[in-house]
Amino acid sequence: MINELLIILFAPLVAGVIAWALDIRGIREAIGIIGAAVPLAMLAKLYSQVLDGAINHSITISGFTLQFQLNSMSWYFAAVASLVGLAMAFGMAVTSRESYEWLFALMSFTGVLGVFLSQDFVGFFLFWELMTFASFMMVLKRNRHESLKYFVLSVIGAYAMLIAIGMLYAKTGALDFASIRQALYLDAAMGTITTRETAIIFALFLTAFGVKAGAFPLHVWAPGAYSETDQSYTAFFSGALSKAGAYGFLLLYVLMGYKLYAAFGTFHDHLVFAYIIAWIGALTVIIASFLAVLQEDIRKLFAYSSVGQVGYILLAFGLGTSLGFAGGLFHVLSHAVFKGLFWLVTAAIILQTGKTQFKDMGGLAEKMPFTFAMGLIAVLSLAGIPPMAGFASKWLIYEAAIQAHMPLVAGAIFLGSALAFAYVVRFLYAVWFGQRPSDLEDVKEAPLPLLIGMAILAIPNIVFGIAPGIVTDYLNKMLGGEVVGGDYYKLVTPTGTYNALLVTVVLVLGLAIAGLIYIYGARTRRIPVTNTYQSGNPVTEEFNLSIRRNFYRPLAEALGFWLRYSFDRFYERLAGIAEDFADSLRQAFYNGNVQSYSWYLAIVLLILALWGVL
Amino acid sequence: MISVYYFGAITLILIGLYAVLVKKNLLKILIGLSIMETGVNLLLVSVGYVAGKSAPILSEGIGPAQAVDPIPQALVLTAIVIGVATTAMALSVAIILHEKYGTLNVEEIRRLRG
Repeated sequence: MINELLIILFAPLVAGVIAWALDIRGIREAIGIIGAAVPLAMLAKLYSQVLDGAINHSITISGFTLQFQLNSMSWYFAAVASLVGLAMAFGMAVTSRESYEWLFALMSFTGVLGVFLSQDFVGFFLFWELMTFASFMMVLKRNRHESLKYFVLSVIGAYAMLIAIGMLYAKTGALDFASIRQALYLDAAMGTITTRETAIIFALFLTAFGVKAGAFPLHVWAPGAYSETDQSYTAFFSGALSKAGAYGFLLLYVLMGYKLYAAFGTFHDHLVFAYIIAWIGALTVIIASFLAVLQEDIRKLFAYSSVGQVGYILLAFGLGTSLGFAGGLFHVLSHAVFKGLFWLVTAAIILQTGKTQFKDMGGLAEKMPFTFAMGLIAVLSLAGIPPMAGFASKWLIYEAAIQAHMPLVAGAIFLGSALAFAYVVRFLYAVWFGQRPSDLEDVKEAPLPLLIGMAILAIPNIVFGIAPGIVTDYLNKMLGGEVVGGDYYKLVTPTGTYNALLVTVVLVLGLAIAGLIYIYGARTRRIPVTNTYQSGNPVTEEFNLSIRRNFYRPLAEALGFWLRYSFDRFYERLAGIAEDFADSLRQAFYNGNVQSYSWYLAIVLLILALWGVL
Repeated sequence: MISVYYFGAITLILIGLYAVLVKKNLLKILIGLSIMETGVNLLLVSVGYVAGKSAPILSEGIGPAQAVDPIPQALVLTAIVIGVATTAMALSVAIILHEKYGTLNVEEIRRLRG
């Protein structure tokens, strides 16, 4: 009998290959959706079994034993990825036009699951690369330049990880997580691995996982790669694939946490290495959120927003307290569901209108009511409005940051949240409300499979928002202790209490009152869009700041000094310099003059001769 | 004390190398190559020389013990043939270059390429 873990791992890949090979419209979509549904079904089946104890499986391939384990942590991550993967498959049923995309989208699905389930570095690295390769192929299809950027940064990350794995292997002689963990734990007391070596391994892993998570300053690939691919796939790309990086950071704690603590010690009562992670997360949150606010393209906006939200997860993990882990893990789930939902909504908008810029949008709420409702749920969840999953997870992160006595980091989250509100409001208004451009008059509702995909992700947003206790209950079991107290509807931490049900009831009541006032009390007047922002001043064409165009330009001008620095441009320039240098080197030496080549030969011979003499 | 044969052979090689590196006329470079080749051959032969021994031909009164090392001589025989062949080919290339470009200056020829 084939093992359940292998079914979970390889069902998407096999389905992808079959869909690709058959390539019959209709059948390949069905196969793809079934393949994407299998992991989620299997994970649901194994849920109770996982809580009793981890499920192990190992296969031996050419001398390497690959170990897979479904424990409470990998189950959580795999379930989140499978949920988003299933929604992606439904979305792709209408947005993808080629079987090529099915093959690589489902291949990256398998890669992500493999990363979560692997219990040794051989399998981890193999699946990590499978995931990178497949997502690279997805981006390559649409945009060569962006895919190259993604590829180069991923390769840097992969080599960093390979070197780190090699160093760990040289020091501990083990490749499986359990042995490495034990060896490093023992080594913390003996100290045979010096502080400098530990620092190098740590930095290399930070690079490797940071690239995939899109952590500052390695985030530059993300905006391009997220926007330049099938948007349904981006739901998985940004919702689940970026979590592999976050999972890596967690793995750092599991494998080398104690050793890192022993090597670096503490700083103001915080673990030094966790402090670094927390600040990487905080910088990512602030910078990506500012950049997201300034975007004029829907896809770019959500791409930066996605980078920023993964920053929250890193920040929460960096707090190093169990409450921080609970918050970060909860945010893994809520980010996956609301950001996946956002991308599916974007996919629907782009599919139906063919436009990506805010300036071409408007008034779509009447034309695409269901998509609008889904977009609204995503907006509420991302902005952290109470009865949504996004609020519960962010609230936990706030609580954790305050409890960990890191005021500056907590400030970064607050700033990031304010900015998140600023950009989602713009999405909400510019796309759905206001005047409709005349060429969008005959836009229709998104097709059914896409709507199903959205619903799959919208339901967890609401359910886990109203009953966050379901998630925290599981997280308590995973983290081994009563980290977050309360029942299904109430979260209790040492510093605060959040009653989701009460908030929901109050909110619904408030909305009902507001609705009654709107229906019976208010008199509405139709006004041009630009009226609201110009305060009665005449609008000039070069400073026409409507919500669809340059809405946050004053902010961009205020930030002008900082916006002159860009890591994206820095890397591009670095690449340019390297290219120019190589070019001038080539022209200087390879000059077409026979006698120069004779000189090189003579000089080399002379050096060799002297070497022999000396 | 370095043997005069070695000294002479290496000097010939260096003279040839000098011509190859510095002279601009293609024919002079080829002459330099020929000189270098002669130097190399001389050096090889002189490596096999054993003082007081005769030519390595087995005949009356001369056994293997009385002959100089025959291997460098065989090598040099081969090298001479190769050298002549390369020189002949290089010269024909020089003729073609002169027909095509009207000059034998290597820098001029380089400037005209492409």
